[in-house]
Amino acid sequence: MMEIYGEFKPYLSQIKDDVMKKLAVLNQQEIEKNKNKLYEHLIGRVKTEDSMVEKCQRKGFPLSPEGALRECKDAIGIRIVCNFIDDVYRSIDLLKHADWCEVVKEKDYITRSKPNGYRSYHLILKVDTPYPYIDGNTSGCYFVEVQLRTIAMDSWASLEHEMKYKHSIENPEQIGKELKRCADQLASCDVQMQTIRQLIHEND
Amino acid sequence: MRILLAEDEKELSRVLVTAMRSQGYDVVPVYNGSEAVDKADHGVYDLMIFDIMMPVMTGIEALKKIRSTGDQTYVIMLTAMSEIDDKVTGLDAGADDYITKPFSLKELLARLRSLERRSEDYTNDVLKFGDITLDSNEQRLESFNSISLSAKETKLLNLFILNANKKIDSDILIDHAWDNDDDIDRDTLWIYISYLRQKLQSVNAHVEIYGEKGGPYQLINTNGGDSNDSEVSL
Repeated sequence: MMEIYGEFKPYLSQIKDDVMKKLAVLNQQEIEKNKNKLYEHLIGRVKTEDSMVEKCQRKGFPLSPEGALRECKDAIGIRIVCNFIDDVYRSIDLLKHADWCEVVKEKDYITRSKPNGYRSYHLILKVDTPYPYIDGNTSGCYFVEVQLRTIAMDSWASLEHEMKYKHSIENPEQIGKELKRCADQLASCDVQMQTIRQLIHEND
Repeated sequence: MRILLAEDEKELSRVLVTAMRSQGYDVVPVYNGSEAVDKADHGVYDLMIFDIMMPVMTGIEALKKIRSTGDQTYVIMLTAMSEIDDKVTGLDAGADDYITKPFSLKELLARLRSLERRSEDYTNDVLKFGDITLDSNEQRLESFNSISLSAKETKLLNLFILNANKKIDSDILIDHAWDNDDDIDRDTLWIYISYLRQKLQSVNAHVEIYGEKGGPYQLINTNGGDSNDSEVSL
């Protein structure tokens, strides 16, 4: 097995944990301000070296820490799963104003879902860390991909993932169409819950 | 069914109104094209029947004016048997059907029953307004994104699109979307209007429902032309 992350490998899971702690702090601060919790749960992962090698080969990036940590920006990935759509946007706003990171790229697949029905909001963060980086800096900046979505969008993505990796489906087109319809219905529920929540708090 | 009838021959108009009312239709008679445009601007109808030759403004001119405001209500023209051009001009101006004069009341009433069956079974399958598409069979709203609608939301949006830009009273919306036996008040309607507003927003539509709680409500195309790209590189 190739060690594409080289000497930087041990830092990656520490950075993942550090960022998750910072997100937990943001959540705590919101709760202390008597606001709803930011998210339902967080999950984080460091991309396996095998997957990273495959991705770099596919994209034509060098098979080195340079390719894995600078060209690819999702070696560290964190998913923020929220109860309501508003919470997704509140989280994005807090991240944009956080002093420990900078948003360098964003893709809004909630406002414009992918053709298959996928909905999620993707951010690439550049995060300050106390760890050495490939540029020689002893306190370097690492890229972290953050995906934000509601519980409904998350469940849908798991289902779609199951279909994508099961190659022996008899009628993939029909299943794909049903998945798309299901995505539209879940989006409808998300919007409906959001609206009811706003009606409840109309006079706050 | 609510019907707007524009016919300048008073005697014929009286006969038609009596016949249609006897079948339980709600008929509003006017006597020239200009009055028809005025009524259409301010009211919601399921069907409009226009004579072609009328004083002040012809039926064709009235139809063109009404269509130009975005009104997609079903329109039947009354044409003279000999005038093939009238039929063509009427259909091209946006009429959905025509009846040639002289016609029998039996035929007219049968057409109304046919139309009624059709609109109960299938409300217009696919309607477009501004940058939105409503698929009533699939109960789906599409723009830059797509989202499912409930049965009531679909009926409401259908009526809004057919009567775009008009201020529509709460009672008319409730009548159309709910059965008479449902106990529906303006507060419930407001919740459904709120759902529709948020859904329009969530598909990134440049179409909005104007109006305060209690109504009236109005579907408006707000397209400013900017397409609001989803991918932003900073």
